[in-house]
Amino acid sequence: MKEITISPVTRIEGHAGVRIFLNDRGEVDSAHFQVVELRGFEKFLIGAAIEEAPRITPRICGICPSAHHLAAAKATDQIFGVEPPATGKKLRELLNVGQFVHSHALHFFMLAAPDFILGHDCPAESRNVIGLARQSPEIAKKAIAVRKFGQRLTEAVGGKPIHPANALPGGMSAPLTEGKRAELAVMADEALGIAREGWDLARNLLDGVDTEIGAVRTGFVGMTNQGVYSTYDGSAAMLGPDGGRVGSFSGPEYTNFIEEYSEDWSYLKFARFKGGDYYRVGPLARLNIVEKMGTEHADAALAEYRERFGTGTQAALAYHLARYIEFIASCERAVQLLSDPGITAPDIRTPVGAVVNRRGVGIVEAPRGTLIHDYTVNEAGIIERCNLIVATCQNNYAMDRGVEDMARRVVENGALTEAAANRIEMIIRAYDPCISCATHAIGKMPLKIECVRRT
Amino acid sequence: MKIAIEELAGCSGCTIAVLDLHEMLLDVVAEAEIVYSPVIMDVKEPPEGIDIAFVTGAVRNEENRERLEKIRKRAKTLVALGTCACYGGISGLSMLNSNVDLFSCVYREVETVKPDGVIPTDVPPFLYRAFAVGDLVKVDYYVTGCPPKEAFLKKIIPAMVAGDTLELSRKSVCSECDRIMGPVENWTLKRRHEGVPDREHCLLGQGYLCLGSVTFGRCAATCPKNNIPCHGCNGPSLDILREPCRDIHGMMVRRISDLTDKPQKEVEKEFYDVAHTMYAFTIGSLIMEDKETSKIRDLVKERSK
Ligand code: SF4
Ligand code: SF4
Ligand code: SF4
Repeated sequence: MKEITISPVTRIEGHAGVRIFLNDRGEVDSAHFQVVELRGFEKFLIGAAIEEAPRITPRICGICPSAHHLAAAKATDQIFGVEPPATGKKLRELLNVGQFVHSHALHFFMLAAPDFILGHDCPAESRNVIGLARQSPEIAKKAIAVRKFGQRLTEAVGGKPIHPANALPGGMSAPLTEGKRAELAVMADEALGIAREGWDLARNLLDGVDTEIGAVRTGFVGMTNQGVYSTYDGSAAMLGPDGGRVGSFSGPEYTNFIEEYSEDWSYLKFARFKGGDYYRVGPLARLNIVEKMGTEHADAALAEYRERFGTGTQAALAYHLARYIEFIASCERAVQLLSDPGITAPDIRTPVGAVVNRRGVGIVEAPRGTLIHDYTVNEAGIIERCNLIVATCQNNYAMDRGVEDMARRVVENGALTEAAANRIEMIIRAYDPCISCATHAIGKMPLKIECVRRT
Repeated sequence: MKIAIEELAGCSGCTIAVLDLHEMLLDVVAEAEIVYSPVIMDVKEPPEGIDIAFVTGAVRNEENRERLEKIRKRAKTLVALGTCACYGGISGLSMLNSNVDLFSCVYREVETVKPDGVIPTDVPPFLYRAFAVGDLVKVDYYVTGCPPKEAFLKKIIPAMVAGDTLELSRKSVCSECDRIMGPVENWTLKRRHEGVPDREHCLLGQGYLCLGSVTFGRCAATCPKNNIPCHGCNGPSLDILREPCRDIHGMMVRRISDLTDKPQKEVEKEFYDVAHTMYAFTIGSLIMEDKETSKIRDLVKERSK
């Protein structure tokens, strides 16, 4: 048995690997996406006071901490039986918008674009954002500017750009000041300008690229507010692999539809529909589910996207375009929310009393897909049970199958060149997997590529 | 100047914090060459001859330990970047349970999995406990913060790259906080979500467990300024680090007792969930555990029963 290992998979968030098994003719027998770490949040949150969850769980992921912060905060609202006041809710949505702006800009420009703009034949040392900054300094500068806006927005609303802390049971701890709002509104306009200009680049990125690669057929899960794109409020809709609506959930009933299982060779669990169909989450899923984005420029981009990919697409590489459309939508929503006169109102927090419900399930859309935080507490509000379902676990199957599909295409004579390995990694990158999130359960996932020849 | 960033068990937030230098990043990469950072570039192994290696995250499994040892050998200067690397960070909370219980919970006990679920074995095995980076290898500089804050990194990274030395603040979060100590009457400990604190006065004086006095500053007291108590994410304050008999829990008891005239024993009785409220960021650190008065040993023993 021959074994080649490439580890870790790079330009993704966290550690993971790929294993490719070859038969004795040097052809791909099978291949897997492997995650090699775990941290154990589901266990070590047991015994914590529930109000600590919004402060501890952002540390699951430094790239999408706001999504964890908000999912936990939503769950605590239910446990204490309160609704945040209107401004509190808007601020929370704005916090998620800041998250999307930073995370999507990071992924699109800094992690994924080097593959398309610099190409596979570019040496590994410079196929990255620094190489991009040398070759196309204007793109790099714009990427830095929009990401900075996302982080400034998160900081202003959430208290800190990474691991925000301002959302708490019943709302938010601090209002947005008029000074900050005005400053951010200027940045939001500029970011929207950059996002709109970049659409030309994004739209043409897949020209000449075979979008059949990494093929897999799945259902989809994503949040929508009555058909309109939404990341904070609404219910999660489910589509089957044939595109038909299967149902929707917004609370504990998610357990009627979703099950998880594990494999011996990965710390990352796999999620699927009960009944066995697989599904995907994230930009591709959300755009397959919504009727419209609800903002002008994103809707125009969505129309172009649908002209090319239809109303429901399975193409893994379409994730990049879908992500970019969400990036435009997030900038537009930031402009809207920041010009809403109510956004600086002081009424942001509903005081809470004792525990009202023993269970709270917070669901939000994280940049990488639907995020579920489910807590059960005792009468004093101490966590007794906890279940966290993150995007990467829901996309695990698709990445795993995509890796195999790509491996079959690029392994030649039982060998994998550096450029070919990067093509496999490209499939994984399309999903923007967040290994830190994925391994919330105990460590982090080094992504490894190893080839094993079976004799 | 060759720079590397290695990530162990953490959340990548520390690497994102480096990206949060924003435009300054372009100046840094003009001066220094980033030779290895798996989150942003494709080089799979740290090369030889690294001048400064930043290590983020705690050490939780065999793979983390191997990577740490490798980068230590290949780097002249090793910087523990962030609270996980310095004190185990949030990942250290996994010390509250045995590995067996942890795996069993994740793969067999949560509601969406089956009780006979597979527990992965064909993966890098877990160490028997979590470690901070400095527990296992020599660390040249500790940069605390979960993650270290932008303003602080903007000060130290260019200086490091230029090889300069800097005089840094040694103060606690309290010294950066703008709240005043009002009258403290009928003090009882409140849960962090109870009531709405007033914005003028010290949160600790109002009954909230604010860890500002036992926490290293350099975050501009962000949380108290946003009307929430400090959770201690920058790690222990300098006096606690320096004195072998000073510990987070013990210092909080003393401080509250002085503030309220309640006997220390009474104060201690009011505490709840000490592991998550006081040691959330330091429980996986031998340095903190080894302190004479540390509660970490008891907490680990009690919970892993
Ligand atoms: S110190 Fe905080 S930000 Fe850095 S890796 Fe650890 S949890 Fe993430
Ligand atoms: S204890 Fe907290 S609120 Fe009081 S002065 Fe210190 S940091 Fe500020
Ligand atoms: S106030 Fe405390 S919890 Fe908040 S950022 Fe500073 S050290 Fe961390």
